[in-house]
Amino acid sequence: MRSLAARLVLSPTALITLVCFYGCAVWTAYISLTRSSFFPNYEFSGIAQYTRLFSTERWNVAYANMFIFGVLLVAGALALGIILALMIDRNVRGEGFFRTIMLYPLAMSFIVTGLAWQWVLSPSIGVQHFVRDLGFPDFTFDWVARQDRAIYTLVFAGVWHQAGLIMAIMLAGLRGVDRDIWKATRIEGIPVWRVYLGIVLPMLRPLVVTCVVLLSVAVVKSYDLVVAMTGGGPGFASDLPGKFVVEFSFERANIGQASAAAVVMLGSIFAALAPYFYIEMRRKAT
Amino acid sequence: MSRTRTALLALALTAASGVASAQPADVIHWWTSGGESKAVNVFATEFDARGGKWVDNAVVGGPAARAAALNRIAGGNPPAATMWNVGVAVRQLAEQGMLTELDDIAKAGKWVENLPPLIVKNISYNGHIIAVPVDLHGGNWMFYSKKIYDELKIQPAKNWDEFLIQAEKIKAAGYIPLSIGGQPFQEVWLWLPVLLGSAGKEDFKKIYADHDAKLAAGPGVKKAFEVMRKLAAYTDAGRPNRKWNDSLLLVQNNKAASQFLGDWGKGEFAAAGLKPQIDYGCAMAPGNDGAYMMNVDVFAFPKSKNPTTIAAQRKLAEVMMDPAVQVKFNAFKGALPARLDADTGALDACAQIGKAIIDGGPANQMPNTALAFSPDVDGQITDLITQYFNSTTMTAEAATAAFAKIIANADK
Repeated sequence: MRSLAARLVLSPTALITLVCFYGCAVWTAYISLTRSSFFPNYEFSGIAQYTRLFSTERWNVAYANMFIFGVLLVAGALALGIILALMIDRNVRGEGFFRTIMLYPLAMSFIVTGLAWQWVLSPSIGVQHFVRDLGFPDFTFDWVARQDRAIYTLVFAGVWHQAGLIMAIMLAGLRGVDRDIWKATRIEGIPVWRVYLGIVLPMLRPLVVTCVVLLSVAVVKSYDLVVAMTGGGPGFASDLPGKFVVEFSFERANIGQASAAAVVMLGSIFAALAPYFYIEMRRKAT
Repeated sequence: MSRTRTALLALALTAASGVASAQPADVIHWWTSGGESKAVNVFATEFDARGGKWVDNAVVGGPAARAAALNRIAGGNPPAATMWNVGVAVRQLAEQGMLTELDDIAKAGKWVENLPPLIVKNISYNGHIIAVPVDLHGGNWMFYSKKIYDELKIQPAKNWDEFLIQAEKIKAAGYIPLSIGGQPFQEVWLWLPVLLGSAGKEDFKKIYADHDAKLAAGPGVKKAFEVMRKLAAYTDAGRPNRKWNDSLLLVQNNKAASQFLGDWGKGEFAAAGLKPQIDYGCAMAPGNDGAYMMNVDVFAFPKSKNPTTIAAQRKLAEVMMDPAVQVKFNAFKGALPARLDADTGALDACAQIGKAIIDGGPANQMPNTALAFSPDVDGQITDLITQYFNSTTMTAEAATAAFAKIIANADK
């Protein structure tokens, strides 16, 4: 009886997941195999959309950017967040103050973050302008205007935005560590940094996994950050797949091409995260 | 007996509703800025005065508005009217059988005789008229700072080589020669007059309207790409992702000498209280004399089964194509009326330059990208232009070849 009630309660969720997530994913995959332009067209046309997709330079740039942006954002935010958490964990004075300041960026939307960083990095009004006015006329920091560097400016903004969240999660974990462990290591005379590196952080592994998942989600949905900050430019040098898909489905009326891009996006994220989760699951099992 | 009575009753009710209550029409559009909303209000007021009831459905941003319209059409609850930029996209909607045909109203109002042929082509599908053009924006204008031009004693350049020589002089005087924002569509606004000025208007028309791939690989296009590369050097460092109206602010404040964009730029000057040809200058872009690059807004009427809606749609179409209403509308919108027989004496000094060109006949009436290509091909060209304009390594030859390939693969 109890299991029936539980099933009844869960069935709407299961239905929504099935229809909205899996159903739509399957529909998108099918549309990517048609010549749909303005409206869906269900006539099968093979892998033509994929052939065109991978011969489109803009897509190749956006696709590569997803990995550059993804890896650097996850690694950067994780490293910075953990370092901040460790510093606060050493019982600094004004802990509440620092914690609030570091969490602040997260309270802002990606749109505001993007706009603020666009101004900070803009050569004519931002950092470059400021330093030049201080008396260093040769100072140059124009990454946001350079095709080969623009993608890294997105990483700055993303890390700045996400590091606070990682700090909060990790700090909660650090506070949960059994105080007896610290007493024991102090008696043994182990240096603090070794305790963190060798004992405490490995204990927090599940939290790190959570952080990686949250950051990966941020990478995938970073559409608004790009739009507000670089607009995918200069040219399309800082384009990301999310922006590519939105633009092709709405402005360019090419649902087929957009669906193909979305399918490749989903597949790649799955391929990148699956091994990681597999390893984590196995660790849990043993 | 009872069936007849029901039918009669229904008829009476329909007639009564037609007389007693106003015909409501919900209209989707994305005219939300100051001048734009004043302009669209002209239609609303006139429609209400003639017994309709305008239900305003303004959506911020073109893509969002178009997505809203498409979703409502696809979901079976279409708006009475929806705005669009004229072009292949509207014809694709008609191809799906989704738009009301307006042939009898068009015939009664002599639309075909009084519209540029290129526009007639683009509001027709299979010989039926399926949209109402309300304005003729010109896309190939140069807005310039009178103060800087007077100070350096220069006149608007007649061709792009002359413009580049002047740019050097302007740069030396400490001003930004060319203001532009680093967004792909703004770079296309620059590309179109550069191509027109470099290849000449006949070749431009053959490439854009007729998709002539041989000319697209020719010297005119290559020259245009070379000019684009040189122009990039005369822009300022604050270009990345700057909005077009922020870029125009540099011209308004006499920090930059010129900017290339359509006549919607006049709205920004007007908002700052500046007058055309007195506080700022307007001229056709270098080499663009006698060419008016048309950028047209239309309203289309998704098919409806509701007789009240159908009546409202027909009334709306008549209101929007009334020459006098179009003039009033465009006084706020900054464009020319789509109807060539409208009396435009009341429009501003820049509009008069444009009107003289457009009245010169079809040879002067140029398509913009939307009039010439599907949104997909339009997008491919945009990607190429922005990639080239921001690159330091891509050669003009490579860009020309890529451009020719896009034109060759564009459907006729």
